[in-house]
Amino acid sequence: MKTRTFMILVILMAASITLTGMGVSLVTAQVTEIKAPYIQEALPLNPKDPLWGEVELTQVPLVAQLLAYPMSLDTTPRSLKFAIVHNGTHMAFYIEWDDQTMDVEGGGELNKFSDAVAIQFPVQEGELPYICMGDTANPVNIVMWKAGIGAENLVAGSAYGRDAKEREALGLQQVPTSPIEMLPEDAQIWKSQAVYEDGKWRVVLIRPTGSTHPLVPDLRPGDSTSIAFARWEGSKYERGGAKSTSGWYTVKLEQIAVEAVETVTQTQTVTTTQTTTETVTQTQTQVTTETVTVTETTPAVTGAVKGALVGLVIALIAAILALALLYRRGMRPS
Amino acid sequence: MVRAQISMVMVLDKCIGCHTCSLTCKHVWTNREGQEYAWWNNVETRPGVGYPKRWEDQEKYGGGWVLENGKLRLRLEAMGKRDPPSIKDYYQPFEYNYEELFTEEIRDQQPAANPINMYTGEEMDVKWGPNWDDDLAGANIYAGMDPNWRILEKEIYLNFKDVFMFYLPRICNHCLNPSCLYACPRKSIYKREEDGVVLIDQTRCRGYRYCVTACPYKKVYYNWKTGKSEKCILCYPRLETGQATVCTVSCVGKIRYMGVVLYDEERVIEAASAPENELVKAQRDLILDPFDPDVIRQAKADGIPENFIKAAQESPVYYMFKRWEIALPLHPEFRTLPMVFYVPPLNPVITALDRRGKYNAAYENIIPTIDELRIPIKYLASMFSAGNEEEVRKALKKLVAIREFFRLVNVEGMSKTEASRVLSEHGLSVRDADLMYKWLALGRDRWTIPTRKVELRMKIPKRASR
Repeated sequence: MKTRTFMILVILMAASITLTGMGVSLVTAQVTEIKAPYIQEALPLNPKDPLWGEVELTQVPLVAQLLAYPMSLDTTPRSLKFAIVHNGTHMAFYIEWDDQTMDVEGGGELNKFSDAVAIQFPVQEGELPYICMGDTANPVNIVMWKAGIGAENLVAGSAYGRDAKEREALGLQQVPTSPIEMLPEDAQIWKSQAVYEDGKWRVVLIRPTGSTHPLVPDLRPGDSTSIAFARWEGSKYERGGAKSTSGWYTVKLEQIAVEAVETVTQTQTVTTTQTTTETVTQTQTQVTTETVTVTETTPAVTGAVKGALVGLVIALIAAILALALLYRRGMRPS
Repeated sequence: MVRAQISMVMVLDKCIGCHTCSLTCKHVWTNREGQEYAWWNNVETRPGVGYPKRWEDQEKYGGGWVLENGKLRLRLEAMGKRDPPSIKDYYQPFEYNYEELFTEEIRDQQPAANPINMYTGEEMDVKWGPNWDDDLAGANIYAGMDPNWRILEKEIYLNFKDVFMFYLPRICNHCLNPSCLYACPRKSIYKREEDGVVLIDQTRCRGYRYCVTACPYKKVYYNWKTGKSEKCILCYPRLETGQATVCTVSCVGKIRYMGVVLYDEERVIEAASAPENELVKAQRDLILDPFDPDVIRQAKADGIPENFIKAAQESPVYYMFKRWEIALPLHPEFRTLPMVFYVPPLNPVITALDRRGKYNAAYENIIPTIDELRIPIKYLASMFSAGNEEEVRKALKKLVAIREFFRLVNVEGMSKTEASRVLSEHGLSVRDADLMYKWLALGRDRWTIPTRKVELRMKIPKRASR
């Protein structure tokens, strides 16, 4: 009897340890940080530009959304590959994925759904938002690209926490229209271009690094942020909640190298004086942030700590349960 | 909780299939790009396939609710149905090249306006349309595809076109338990508190089309131009000013009746979950008596204004569906509690011609008994009472009784009191008969629409109190 109870204890402990392990990988972002290298040239919007053949791609596994109605019916594992680069003033995402069919809605078709991809960003710094499109306290900014439609800049989770006046000031409708809302015209900062060739979508999304809208994160060289992806396959009638999603990834916009800044300033002084001052401020911030980077706690790290804590709590509960069981078994005559 | 609903009754015997309702609706609401194929109001010939093709076949379209262990579940979820109907299920919208009539050179024969594809502008060969099988055209091909045949004997099915046909005009049913509303993940669809009109908020809709699949009547139409879904709005801007819908006002046969009914909102789900053969009864039980002092008191307490209560007391819908039980919901087995009702057709009160082309005069009276009517009760029951033949029989018997009553009075010269025995058999009074005559025969006072009050507007979240 004693050995059996011991076995249960061991199994429970093992389970709790595994849970801790899982907790880390589920709750937090990937620990590895993805670098967004700095390049000196203008960022090419064309997905066929040779630059996109040279960048290092990161593979992202995606799983079907199975938490809320309407769920995805196709649960086969999927993935996409992406790279991110910036040139100081703009940042660009290059995303590619395999898709056997090219689906574009419109043109009188009623049962056609566009292939689509989306990237989600936390609006605030600090603790990561809820992975499923944020919540009232911690909203997310989403850029969604849809075949035939292009890029839309959206906000999710923020709506219900703000009053009508605040919402109006943000350019949103006074009464929330849905948990996912279109941002106003001046916040539509994304440009996109896509190519479908040989069973593969290639999409480039570009936005300025700076932001003028409070619900769109300001991402400057040297900044880190977290991103998560979602992808829709039109041929499988996917739209809305029927999609596949990724976990959080941390990306860091590389600092602008000093020489590089000089060349940028040199070329830009020719055009306007305004841009020169802009670049100068950028170099200044670079200096300050450089020293901070080492101690900077990225959202990913806090997430990891949180995950480990959750795991630990689960392990503790399991241990107590096991001990209680052991105690009860010990009392009983067998 | 007492709620008010503006609803409609269509008396099918009076429909002449002229499509005026469809055309007025089209011209007022859907005469624009993206909605070319959409007919918020359409008229079908029965037996026939309807529009979109075989819309009643939920194994194909996945609309409405199913009862799973006593609980309602969206059929699209139960089936894992994700795809909405394609344009082929509706039809390829076409126009005619009218320009041709004016510009063609003078020739021996008359110029012709050929059909052109509304999407591409190219000439096309029309092979299907929203009322292709109108008046039983091509019946030997299309009528056999009518899903309501499944319960009928093959014999009736094969002989039907010598026997009967009728028209079925359809709009959105503005259901009490709308599956379109529940299917929308963005909560873009709402049922107006003040009059029960079901609407799609165009600012919330993102064109996911779950509502299109979920509506068992296929009365939500995706607008491919705006990327959002649309549907019949029961002409609410007209209702608000006390006018009936354009389909009602323009109806040539005066078949449409509109009015307010009061219902008990708390029992909606219970009624929608009733056993199949009790669905009509359960829905009738939801409708409250607007003359009952308790109901009036509760209605007032629940914020229903005086003019709505008064309208409910004058409502032809209340009389026809609840009190007289001559009107029935369309396909109650979809469990959405549709609020447009139909008075089933007697389809002129004569029996079928026999094989030798003679009327079978095996009845004593001029007016035949119900089971001698040309339309199989089974067929009507499949459409209007989830197969419960007794409900159809009850409605038809009353329609026959009222004819018998007026025949006794006007032809046989009987006094109304004397003749009223044919009415009392069916629980009707002389007053009921007079009202029916006024409404059904003369077509007077076909609607009572109360004007809307400002304080009844949809409750929107309060502005911050500062």
